[in-house]
Amino acid sequence: MRDIKARVTSRTDHAPGLFSLHCSAPDLAAGVRAGQFAMIGVEGRSRPFLRRAFSVADVDRHAGTVEFLVKVVGVGTACLSALVPGEEVALLAPLGNAFTASDLARGDRVAIVAGGVGVAPFPLLLRELGSRGVVADLFFGGRSAPDLAYRAKISPLVTGAEKDATDDGTAGEPGRVTDLLARTLGGGGGYRRVYACGPTPMFRSLARVLDGKGIAAEFSTEAPMGCGFGVCLACVLPKPGGGFLVSCQEGPILAPSAVDWSRCR
Amino acid sequence: MTSSYLSVALGPVRLANPIATASGTFGYGLEFADVLDLSSIGALFTKGLSLQPHEGNAPPRICETPSGMLNAIGLQNVGIETFLREKLPLLAAAGATVFANIWGDEEEEYVEIARALSGAPGLAGIELNISCPNVRKGGMLFGNSPEATASLVGKVRKATDAPLVVKLSPNAPDLVESARAARGAGADVLSLVNTFVGMAVDPETGAPRISFGTGGLSGPAIRPLAVRMVHQVHRALPDAPLWGIGGIETLSDVLEFMAVGASAVQVGTANFRDPGVSARLVRELDAWCAERSIAARDLIGRTP
Ligand SMILES: Cc1cc2nc3c(=O)[nH]c(=O)nc-3n(C[C@H](O)[C@H](O)[C@H](O)COP(=O)(O)OP(=O)(O)OC[C@H]3O[C@@H](n4cnc5c(N)ncnc54)[C@H](O)[C@@H]3O)c2cc1C
Ligand SMILES: Cc1cc2nc3c(=O)[nH]c(=O)nc-3n(C[C@H](O)[C@H](O)[C@H](O)COP(=O)(O)O)c2cc1C
Ligand code: FES
Repeated sequence: MRDIKARVTSRTDHAPGLFSLHCSAPDLAAGVRAGQFAMIGVEGRSRPFLRRAFSVADVDRHAGTVEFLVKVVGVGTACLSALVPGEEVALLAPLGNAFTASDLARGDRVAIVAGGVGVAPFPLLLRELGSRGVVADLFFGGRSAPDLAYRAKISPLVTGAEKDATDDGTAGEPGRVTDLLARTLGGGGGYRRVYACGPTPMFRSLARVLDGKGIAAEFSTEAPMGCGFGVCLACVLPKPGGGFLVSCQEGPILAPSAVDWSRCR
Repeated sequence: MTSSYLSVALGPVRLANPIATASGTFGYGLEFADVLDLSSIGALFTKGLSLQPHEGNAPPRICETPSGMLNAIGLQNVGIETFLREKLPLLAAAGATVFANIWGDEEEEYVEIARALSGAPGLAGIELNISCPNVRKGGMLFGNSPEATASLVGKVRKATDAPLVVKLSPNAPDLVESARAARGAGADVLSLVNTFVGMAVDPETGAPRISFGTGGLSGPAIRPLAVRMVHQVHRALPDAPLWGIGGIETLSDVLEFMAVGASAVQVGTANFRDPGVSARLVRELDAWCAERSIAARDLIGRTP
C-alpha cells in the first residue's frame, strides 16, 4: 500500500450521477490486480473527513492511468464529482485481495454478475480473463436502464454472452439479474466460476442460487470502511458460526460461504 | 527521530519525541510499516487488549459526522497471548516504542493482563483504558467514579512495575476528581481524552446509524473540548504528566495541546485518513523547534 498523490486526467459521464474518473498513477496502473481497491481522499476545506473506498475499474498501463467508476450517493462521492482535470486526489492503494483467475485455462467459461455500480471491478478482470482466452458471460442488472449505462464501455471487453435485466424492464429482461443467472444455470451453464459484485440483497439471493451447485464463486463485498487497511475494524462482515471477518484485509473478494448473509444488513 | 530538541519525559517514560499514536486507531502498528518507519514516532499504543480474544459489536460500527466520526467497534482484539507471541516481537524488531492498551470486565482481569505483560521484552508501558463507551460492561464503568478508578489503578499498580498510563473518560462526571484518584493510586501518566458518547440517527427510519445505538465521537470535532480538559487537569494537577489526545491532525494542533499542559500527544482518527500523519508531525515539529532553537519540552504548559 502506498499513499499516492494522483492528478485527475479526465472524466467521462455515463448517466446522471454515474461517471468515471481517470487519474495519473503509473505505478498503481502497473501493479494493481483486478478486484483491488483504493481509498480516495480529496484535499480542501469542505471535504468529507474520511476517505471513501472505490474499486479500481480499469487501467491504461501505456498512459499510466487508472479508472474509477463512481456513483454519486452522498457527500464524498459528490466531492469526487466536482473534481476537474488537473486537480489532485490522494489514493491509498492498492488495498485488499484480488479475484482469482490464474487457475483458468483457454476455453474455460465463467459468469460475471454485476448489480448497478457493482460492475466497477469488472473491466480489469475481463481484460485478464480475455488475455487467458477465458470466455466470460456478463449478467448485468439494475433498477432501470440508466443503471446499465456503463455497458457502452464494458461490452467490448465481454468475450461471451451479455444478458441484462432491470427491475422496471426499461432495459433487458424485466426482473432480477440473479433470476437470469438461475435460469442459465438451470440449462447447464458449464461455468468454472461465478464472479459477482453488487448490493447485499443481490449477494444474499445469489448465494442461495449457487448453493449446492458446486460452482466456485467470488463476491466483491462492500462494507462501510474507515481506513481500508485493517486498523479501524469498522468493515467487518459476520462469519457463519459466529465472529467477524475484516473485509478490507481478508477481502473484499470473498467466497459466498465465508459470510453469513442472513446476518448482513 | 532522536533530535535532542524533541525528547520529552513523562514521569518514568522517556520518549525520543512527543508524537505517539492512539489506541484503536493504529491497529497493532505493523499495518503502517509500508507508509512510515515505526521507530521514528515517539510511541505507539496498541488496540485495546483483553485476556481472551474479543469479537466486538455487530456492524455497522462507524459513521462519519461533521469533522469526525462515531464508532462502536466494541474492542475487537486478538487477546494478549497472540499479541505477545505474534505482534510484540515484530514491533520490537522494528524499533517501535510500544504501549499496550488494556481493558477488562472486572478488576481481576486488568490485574491478570498487567501481570502477563510485565517484563515483556520490548514493552515500554501499559495504558489502562477505563473509559471505553462502547462495551456494556467494564471500560467506562471504572472511569466514571473516582472511587472505582482509585481501586482499579491501585490493584494494577501493585501487580506491575511497568510505567502505568491511565486513560481517562471525558464522560466522567468530574474529570479532575478522576485524574486525582488515578494519580493518587499510582498512575505515572494520565491520557486524556477518550471518545465522547454521541449518537447519530437515520432521519428516514429513526434508527441509530450504528448498531450499538450510541458511539464514541472522535476527530477534529472534539479537539476544543479535549484541549479544555487537558488545560483543566494540568491547572489542577501541575505535577501529573499528561498525554493529550483529541482530533490532532496538524502541527498547530500538537503545539496547542502542549501549550495547555500535555507533555506528549497521541494522534487518533487522523491515522485513518492519513496513515503517514504521525511521522510527518515528528518531522514538522523537529523543523519548527530547530528554526526557533527551542526544545519541545519547553513548549509544555505555556498557556496561563
Ligand atoms: C471495497 C469497496 C469498493 C467500492 N467500490 C466502489 C466503486 O467502484 N464505485 C462506487 O461508486 N462505489 C464503490 N463503493 C461504495 C463507496 O465506497 C460508497 O458509495 C461511498 O463510500 C459513499 O460515500 P458518500 O460520502 O458519497 O456517501 P455517504 O454520505 O457516506 O453515504 C450515503 C449513503 O450510502 C451508504 N453507504 C456509504 N458507504 C457505503 C459503502 N461502503 N457501502 C454501501 N453503502 C454505503 C450510506 O449508508 C448512505 O445511505 C465501494 C465500497 C467498498 C467498501
Ligand atoms: C475506531 C476507534 C477505535 C478506538 N479504540 C480504542 C481502544 O481500543 N482503546 C482506547 O483506549 N481508545 C480507543 N479509541 C479512542 C482513541 O484512542 C482516542 O482516544 C480518541 O479517538 C480521540 O482521539 P482522536 O480524536 O484523535 O481520534 C478508539 C477510537 C476510534 C476512533
Ligand atoms: S476499513 Fe478499517 S479495518 Fe477495514
